[in-house]
Amino acid sequence: MPAFARLSIALLLFALFLMVGGFPIAAQTREDPFAGVAEAEKPQPAPRSWREQFFSDNFGFRKEIMSQFDTNEDGRGASRQSVGFEVLKKFSTATSTVASFDFQARLVRRDGFNPVLNDMEGASRQGWAFEYHNLYMDFYNILNPVLSNEERSKNVGRFNFRAGHFYVPFGLNLQTDTHGTVLQLSNDRNFGFERDWYTGFWGTLNRYLNYDAYYLAGSGYDLKYKGQSGLGALRISLANRYSSDYGWEGGVSLLGGERLSEAAKPIATRRIGMDGRYRRAVPTGLLIFTNELSGGRDTADTVFTQLHQLEYLHSSRRWGLATQYRRFAQDGLRADASIIGEACWYFRNDVGNSNLHWIKLNVERQLQRMQGPPSTVVTLQYYFYR
Amino acid sequence: MKPVIAFLALAALAGPQAVYGAIGCTLTNPAEDLKYLYPEMTTFKEELSELPRLQDGAAIFKGLKARLGSDLDPIYETYETPYTVYSVFKGPTKIGVVHGVNVPGKGGVIQVFLSLDPVRAEIKSFFFQRLESPAARQLRSKEFRAQFTGLTLGDFYKHDYYAAVEPGAKADKVAAVKPPPLLDAGGRPDYEASLRGIRKNLILLDFFVYGKRFEPYFDRARQSMEKAKARKE
Repeated sequence: MPAFARLSIALLLFALFLMVGGFPIAAQTREDPFAGVAEAEKPQPAPRSWREQFFSDNFGFRKEIMSQFDTNEDGRGASRQSVGFEVLKKFSTATSTVASFDFQARLVRRDGFNPVLNDMEGASRQGWAFEYHNLYMDFYNILNPVLSNEERSKNVGRFNFRAGHFYVPFGLNLQTDTHGTVLQLSNDRNFGFERDWYTGFWGTLNRYLNYDAYYLAGSGYDLKYKGQSGLGALRISLANRYSSDYGWEGGVSLLGGERLSEAAKPIATRRIGMDGRYRRAVPTGLLIFTNELSGGRDTADTVFTQLHQLEYLHSSRRWGLATQYRRFAQDGLRADASIIGEACWYFRNDVGNSNLHWIKLNVERQLQRMQGPPSTVVTLQYYFYR
Repeated sequence: MKPVIAFLALAALAGPQAVYGAIGCTLTNPAEDLKYLYPEMTTFKEELSELPRLQDGAAIFKGLKARLGSDLDPIYETYETPYTVYSVFKGPTKIGVVHGVNVPGKGGVIQVFLSLDPVRAEIKSFFFQRLESPAARQLRSKEFRAQFTGLTLGDFYKHDYYAAVEPGAKADKVAAVKPPPLLDAGGRPDYEASLRGIRKNLILLDFFVYGKRFEPYFDRARQSMEKAKARKE
């Protein structure tokens, strides 16, 4: 074979190699590997009975176990053991969530009593007691049925209606879940109860402010009227954007009317309060500063309440520390004041409080007492909520 | 005697069994936030999703980890964490889907919310409800957040392939996202956590709302990466 022919065959074979072998490999790497991939079709949901829908759609059920032991400096011990649950159900139409229902209850066994912050009513409930805590309904955007689409759009979230037993709408308690915690805010000491029966409206005023406006029975745990006229309460608070963008929450609260005293006698009550909470990220976690200040009158006596709290939560959310100073002063009755320290180890610590599991050690040093000498109360708490 | 029986009944309830959540990863004030995202909206609807209550919840949780490509944090990202999906309407028409997730950041929680087109499943906007980070200011910047508009979960799955096999490919939309200009090295972990949060949010929405629409992209990316790995070997 002539050399030219051999060269031609060699070139031809090389070209063939490039086309069949080497060249196509280079071409494959440039080929779009996602060519021809189509999005999957959405499967049709299986039909369900109304019962299945009721107990699965927006239905929540949680269980709670709390075991608490405490002692004072004289060695007087007390125990509070409970199991409980919470049911939450939201009701919706095809295009909107229109209402929700919440019920929290506990069966509690108490033996002995020390005035621990989260159980001030325990003194009168020795032995077995079945207790309800939250029991209320919310109805959202209640004017929607009579509004046009344009008016609905302008008033989203503005007119919501609440009725039932919930946190007193004064201070930060409305926006703070203190159901399982040992540390509490100031309402319990300020009014004699932290939850009350009430009805009224809540929602957004504008982009910057929210409102809560209610009529309260003023009777605390039991819904009863013993001659009191009840209380009117108004709270104006910062909109959520301040919490999201700057870590700030806060508000101004007004409350006035008549409530029942511990002895079930009507007391003329006036309060005005200011509160604030600030979350600040630090390199290893989060610092939270909380303050509640309020003043007013119980009948003719001037009262003044203050609460200052500092919390640290490690970025792992596994452990935290907290300290609180609280003082309630009333004309002619001196004051109740305490400083509290707390350490907590979390097994579970969901950001939205949907599943919680912890052990807390809480030490309260009473600095002043209206009745009796100041003491120290040490509390060990185990808490499970899921 | 009655309280004792009631106590035992409640104690039995508290035993190990399926557990249900009451509060999801929610917007603190949904009406306010949704109105800001969709000024034309008239109503919204909340739908709570809890993996333990779903028939294929365990598979979804396992699948979430596989699609995320990293372990789930035992405190921030548990199987029991409930999720709330907000559907936004203008009259009878669904105009948006909003959903939030928590991811662990360097300083604490990073709560990443996305609003999506209900039909195309593309990101309309993304924002942080809680951002416990020293780099919060940089990460909240409009310019940084705007880069995610129009991305889908499919783009994130494609990114897995391109990043591993064809770095710098023009088709890799996720690689085109740039960190905020003033972000220092200390803020980098929270930037990475934010990206992870966006991806996690899109994966869960694909499961809860879009009927696993982007699964073919996940499968193809995985197959293509395996092929490329085999060719190399």
